[in-house]
Amino acid sequence: MNPTLPHTDTLTIQLAIVAVLLPLAASLLNLVLVKSQSKVSGWLSSFAILGSMVLSVLVFAKVWNQPALHAQQLWFVVGTMQVDVGIWLNNLSVLMLLLVTAVALPVHVYSIAYLKGDDKYTRYFAYLSFFCFAMLALVIVDNLVLLYAFWELVGFASYLLIGFWFIREKAVLANKKAFIMNRIGDVALLTGILLLYADFHTFNLVTLFDNHATAAFIGTADNYWITLPGACFLIGAIAKSAQFPLHTWLPDAMEGPTSVSALIHAATMVAAGIFLLARVYVLFSPNVLMVMTIIGCFTAFMAATIALTQNDLKRILAYSTISQLGFMMMAMGVGAYSSALLHLAAHAFFKCLLFLSAGVIIHEMQHLKEKHNLDIDPQDINNMGGLGKYMPVTFITCIIASLALIGFPLTSGCLSKDGILVQAFLWADNKGGFYIIIPVMGVLTSLLTIFYISRLLFKVFLGKSRLKAVMPAWHIEAHDGSPLFKIPMIFLALCSLFPLFSTNPFEYEHSWIYRGFAIAVHTVSALDYHTIVLLSINVLVIPIAYFAYSIYVKQKFSFKTTSLLFKISFNEWYIDRFYHRIIVKDILRIGDLTKWLDKNVLDGTIHLFANTGVAIGKLTVWTDKYIIDGLITMLTLIIKQAGNFVRGFQTGRVQNYLFTMLLVIVVIYVLKTFI
Amino acid sequence: MEQIVFFVLGFVVLASALTVAASKNLVRSIFMFFVTLFALAGLYVFALADFVAITQVVIYVGGVLVLMLFAFMLTNKEVLNNLQQGSKRFISLQKLPALLVAVLFLLILVNAIIKAQPDNLAWIQASAQSGNVISPTDNMVPNIGISLMTRYLLPFEAVSIFLMMALIGAAHLARKEEHKF
Amino acid sequence: MLTYLLLIGAGLFCIGIFIVLSKRNAIQVLIGIELILNAAILNLVAFGKYDKLNNGGQTFALFAIVLAGAAAAVALAIILNVYKQYKTIDPNAVDKLKD
Repeated sequence: MNPTLPHTDTLTIQLAIVAVLLPLAASLLNLVLVKSQSKVSGWLSSFAILGSMVLSVLVFAKVWNQPALHAQQLWFVVGTMQVDVGIWLNNLSVLMLLLVTAVALPVHVYSIAYLKGDDKYTRYFAYLSFFCFAMLALVIVDNLVLLYAFWELVGFASYLLIGFWFIREKAVLANKKAFIMNRIGDVALLTGILLLYADFHTFNLVTLFDNHATAAFIGTADNYWITLPGACFLIGAIAKSAQFPLHTWLPDAMEGPTSVSALIHAATMVAAGIFLLARVYVLFSPNVLMVMTIIGCFTAFMAATIALTQNDLKRILAYSTISQLGFMMMAMGVGAYSSALLHLAAHAFFKCLLFLSAGVIIHEMQHLKEKHNLDIDPQDINNMGGLGKYMPVTFITCIIASLALIGFPLTSGCLSKDGILVQAFLWADNKGGFYIIIPVMGVLTSLLTIFYISRLLFKVFLGKSRLKAVMPAWHIEAHDGSPLFKIPMIFLALCSLFPLFSTNPFEYEHSWIYRGFAIAVHTVSALDYHTIVLLSINVLVIPIAYFAYSIYVKQKFSFKTTSLLFKISFNEWYIDRFYHRIIVKDILRIGDLTKWLDKNVLDGTIHLFANTGVAIGKLTVWTDKYIIDGLITMLTLIIKQAGNFVRGFQTGRVQNYLFTMLLVIVVIYVLKTFI
Repeated sequence: MEQIVFFVLGFVVLASALTVAASKNLVRSIFMFFVTLFALAGLYVFALADFVAITQVVIYVGGVLVLMLFAFMLTNKEVLNNLQQGSKRFISLQKLPALLVAVLFLLILVNAIIKAQPDNLAWIQASAQSGNVISPTDNMVPNIGISLMTRYLLPFEAVSIFLMMALIGAAHLARKEEHKF
Repeated sequence: MLTYLLLIGAGLFCIGIFIVLSKRNAIQVLIGIELILNAAILNLVAFGKYDKLNNGGQTFALFAIVLAGAAAAVALAIILNVYKQYKTIDPNAVDKLKD
């Protein structure tokens, strides 16, 4: 650690590190020591995250609105490249630290009840703690290499958890899809990091972005080599935060356990994309910001329209999440940096709460399904209805979360959404012309949000139970479930209300988060837009909600399911199908081709080599056996024959000896006489 | 007349010897051998060695042949019969090497004898000149007795001792085993 | 006369050799040996005609006959022993120094 830091700062940094490492320890313990399906694992992870949260609060108190703390140590040197490892605690880091732990804690507690009896209980908590570790580390590290590493680890944990029930084929497909989609963004991110290194010869975030000289340089130089890494970072964030066109993985990711969806795919990991944008915000040139705005705005609108017609409870929430992330992206784009982060924090709480409520509902539906042996999808909202009276706590918390999502006064959503829309209008004012379409679409999206969330609420909680309508004899027993469900939900519901964020429920500028990040101060005509936005949303809540009520509860009207707009919405704008037709199929075809090539050409060649080798071997064996061995055998045979021939004389037979003797005499005589 | 008898005797010698060689029957070959020895004795007489001829008849016919017959009768007759089961033919593959060597020797000897021209050898011519040739009228028996007792006394004694040793040894070898070695 | 005697001796010698080499019966082999000896004796006798004074040829012919007799006696004794030992008098079957 940096020895020049004062003692208390060193302590703070150490606390932050401990806060990050606690979940890792819990994860490792769960993986290695705890027996599988042991109840201990849930509490172990929960206490670890509780410890992290307490430490985060302490760190937060120390750092918030104070000078940033930075500590680093040399990691490795490659040539002239020096890579440090360190942490950087500024307002953004500590806010995220606190936010992640504060959302993770209720989710952990909730999971203890939600995953009870699952045969991979321990593994679940190991993964969840591992995710928390990676996410916490991601927010505090001070250099891009580490950031990238933890970015990948977060994605990996998400992959593990989406595919947690890996015996379901859909879950496996979903986690594969998520992984591949994220990979596109990761490649872009890596490219961006390397481009930045090429520009500035450092990976250190502090040097890059906290240094005013660099920041000024980046800000003024509108050159290609600054724009390009910015665009790369943007693509990375788009993939992680599920923005158009890389958003399709998020709805599928809902195959994971609902608690996972709540923590990772609603509150924290998807927010990592926004966090990344915030971390490197100074890098973005006006063009990139423009693209960011358009993408955010379009995603927000598109996802909201899709959410209108979906029937799967979690899918609706997933598209809602995409929509809200689009808002944040748009906010970043229009320069509403602090509003974006405010919305990030607020959204984390209420979306997490919505998911947890959905989890309780699905849990109960699953119970019903198993009890009565029904062939229904427990997540289909068409099968629900009238659940409000059975599960009052869920109902109330869900209403609070929905209001927060709508941006109803007195909730956190009101503050953050107002902030975004007001600043969008101001931005459009500055630009003039067609740019007004951006905030208008934002408002339109907000109105759509009102409609779809009302639809969800009414279909699920109000009206008559559709199941009971089909089978009146059944006695439906649904309830809020164990206190381990209720307490986290109530906690999150309280966090979704305004007092946590601001003393003034109508003025986002009063929010401490907003103040903590305020870069530019907009005062001009801000008040007008306040009024417009507040009015446009809050006044319209009542009629839109009533409209939805009359459709879905009273059933006065109904939509034509055959109309073009409905179809587009219902089929999620055909994006998935488009990808499948155009990209996946072709890639699979290329894959088949390469497989064919591999099998027939490469393997063929290799087999040819192998067969040639075998043939040579056989030839060698043959040669060895018949030619070399043959030579030797022949030699031995000759020697043997010679031996036998010579032995033939040594018969021990007197007559043979005599014969030989006489023959020799004859030969000698002949030799002496005639030669 | 003399010449005819000589050649007849020579023919008998060779023919009976050949019969000995050709015969499968041991007894027959022994008797043909007997004939050969008699004819040989006749040839000795023609060579003017009466005493040698007598000795030949006495020792060979009286001693050796009788010994042979004894030996034949003392050995197992079955084995001898089995031995006769071999090739009946005089010339067979087994006997071919023996025949070859025999014929070769014959050629060599005949060649040598004819080349040497024994009648014209120097020492024979010399002894013929000096009258050192036995004439048919000479009685050589006393002469031989004197020679044995004077000039050839030492070989004579050595031979007699040797003969005694051989006979004792033969008797020892041929005696019935009273006890195991 | 001398030449003829020598030729008869040569023929006798060769027949003896043939018998010695080809017969499968030790007694017949012995007969062959005797024939060879007789061929030698015949030569001694034939040349002995030209040595009237010392009687070398005839005297050694006598010695040879006597020795041949002794040899025959010893040989037959040996044959009997061989027969006792091997139950055969085939010289080819007797090819072991020790059993």
